[in-house]
Amino acid sequence: MRLHQDISAFFAVLIISLLLSANGYAIPAFSRQYGTSCNTCHVNFPKLNDFGKAFKDAGFKFPKDDETFIKIPPVMMGAPAQKELWPHTIFPGTIPGLPPIGLRFNTFFQVVGRHRNNFNAQLPGDPTAPFIPRTDFQTGLLSIFMAGNFGSDIAFWVDDDLSVGGSGADGGLGDGYMKFVNVGRFLKMPTDALSLRVGQFELDLPFSPARSWNLSGWDIYDQPNVGAMNSFFARQENVNNAFALSNAAQGVEFSGGHTYRGYHYSLAIVNQNTGGTPGAGNNVPPTVTYTSDSNFKDIYGRFSYRFNLERDPASRKEIQGAGASGPRDHTYLNLGALYFYGRSVQRFQGQDTSGTPTVLTAREPFYRVGGDFSFNYRTFNLFGQFIYGRDQNLLPVLPVGFVLPSGFINGSPAHFSGGFLEADYLVLPWVMAIMRWDQVKSTADFLNGVGSNPDDSIGAFVSPFHATRNRFTPGIQFLIHANIKAAFEYQIRPQQIVYDPATGAALTSPFRTNSAVVGLDWVY
Amino acid sequence: MKHSVLVATALMVALIGVANAGTISGKVSGVAGESVVYVDAIAGKTFPSPTQQPVMDQKGLMFQPHILAVQQGTTVEFLNSDSVAHNVFWISIGGNKKLGHNLGTWPKGEKRPFKFDNPGAVPLLCNVHPEMSGYVVVSPTPYYAVSNKSGDYKVESVPDGSYTVTAWHEGAKSQSKPVTVSGDTKADFTLSK
Repeated sequence: MRLHQDISAFFAVLIISLLLSANGYAIPAFSRQYGTSCNTCHVNFPKLNDFGKAFKDAGFKFPKDDETFIKIPPVMMGAPAQKELWPHTIFPGTIPGLPPIGLRFNTFFQVVGRHRNNFNAQLPGDPTAPFIPRTDFQTGLLSIFMAGNFGSDIAFWVDDDLSVGGSGADGGLGDGYMKFVNVGRFLKMPTDALSLRVGQFELDLPFSPARSWNLSGWDIYDQPNVGAMNSFFARQENVNNAFALSNAAQGVEFSGGHTYRGYHYSLAIVNQNTGGTPGAGNNVPPTVTYTSDSNFKDIYGRFSYRFNLERDPASRKEIQGAGASGPRDHTYLNLGALYFYGRSVQRFQGQDTSGTPTVLTAREPFYRVGGDFSFNYRTFNLFGQFIYGRDQNLLPVLPVGFVLPSGFINGSPAHFSGGFLEADYLVLPWVMAIMRWDQVKSTADFLNGVGSNPDDSIGAFVSPFHATRNRFTPGIQFLIHANIKAAFEYQIRPQQIVYDPATGAALTSPFRTNSAVVGLDWVY
Repeated sequence: MKHSVLVATALMVALIGVANAGTISGKVSGVAGESVVYVDAIAGKTFPSPTQQPVMDQKGLMFQPHILAVQQGTTVEFLNSDSVAHNVFWISIGGNKKLGHNLGTWPKGEKRPFKFDNPGAVPLLCNVHPEMSGYVVVSPTPYYAVSNKSGDYKVESVPDGSYTVTAWHEGAKSQSKPVTVSGDTKADFTLSK
């Protein structure tokens, strides 16, 4: 039963994220402040062009002569001449002349293939039934976001999804951080060699899930590592790590370089991931429920190098390439690598060596390592990511005569791998065609799907037929205006199968629950 | 002696010309903002190309001035004063799409010239900043004026005679009307979209 709850929770999150993702942000506040179109920074919002990347790198301001572009003067928090008096006065700064607030809303319509009927074992309206309607309208998110620069190269960002089911529905926050850009100047370091970010933020991933332009997220970034724990099989893993790379992290991040040319690095020290799922909390009785353990700090690092490939050496160093008919994104090849190291916590009711009841804590080391590339030629962008994940598998030890475990021993690690490959082609400045291939390989996910009950939870909607799940997602997006987008994608989903929960025998032939999703997205 | 006679004759001709020159003034209404009023091509009459080269600047993500009126044959210097990359192109001149042109990209502080040999309005665009908008209005004669924001205009030094006068505004249909100039002449326009 617990197996089903865990899997259900995981897949419920997965399904919801698939339906309601695309939680990226374009920033109308910047449009107002600078009197410029979204397209100054975005190819197809929220996908950034080279100038947008430079704007973000610089701390949400124009990389050069920012003040000459601002149409709404900032409010001075002290005369510039006050700088001369420091430290005998507060160092002067600014705040944006208009509240830098933007809103985003999106709405979706989904059509699911006929194979959804394999899960429709109960009637509509039953709260426990995994009833999947043929067609469905869904509101997505209503996000509020604020960003800007306080002067002195101090940038800020706050976003929150106010909608029910959004990140803020339970009082939580999306991202909220301050970034101190180019603090390396105080240490006589090269320009932009060191910046500092503090708060809650998305990890510096090569391709931002939080600012994805796709209707559905990249699967590998949402992949947790839940070990095999299906009683039908001998393979048992004591891993229940809900961490996914798309999770927001709390901590500090040191970064440097640029994302539009040359090197870029980041090193983040963030709160330890805990078990995270309700299932982890249920490992101990309610009287000793632990849901957080932040004693250990996880580490995330990324390094990338971007080769701008124009023939003209001077052009390669500019923010944008200089084409014969106007500025455009560089022709480039970006190569990168990432590494995350953390510890996943599980707590169990156990006994110490004298037999006294106690709470046992398994802190399972895990890492994620990956490589990525992005190649851009004019309006064609091909990029991909590969991730390998490995969790140490600490198995409970039950000494002779004990009824509860007294410790842990190392078992075979639980691992997964996968990634994605995506091609974006800007057919016209307002039309982008997309082809994407997602793959996740997890034997544990496959084993856990065998025998999951299609009637008891939405989780059974995803019961993989293979250890490798492939999803192909062609799509097309249209900018109706620079701030309004219509998007369509067709998801050719992984093969699935429904098993008898009692025996594990297959009840259906392998099938795919393909779906078509249309979304309308606007920011203002 | 011969040289002096020539100079004196030229001066007399010039003075007579000035004495017979008038103005066309009035108001362009029905629209907000600046308009351009110019005398259309005069049959059988040509004018030498001006030597002065006015500047159309790109500064602060804007074309400055927003509207630049020039005589046919004028070379306009396109300047980039911004520290971001810009581009200038137009898809037509006077509605003729065959005259569309792309000037390309050039760095801050540099200029790129273009000689406008065809009359008509030239809508200037930048392909990386789609909100940027500017106009060069190429008048077929040297008799043109840009109105103030209230629509008041004054075309000076127009020789007495009968002409077709056109009022242009970026957001309205152009309007042409016959005007007989005799000294200071009034001509009002009411434009509509």
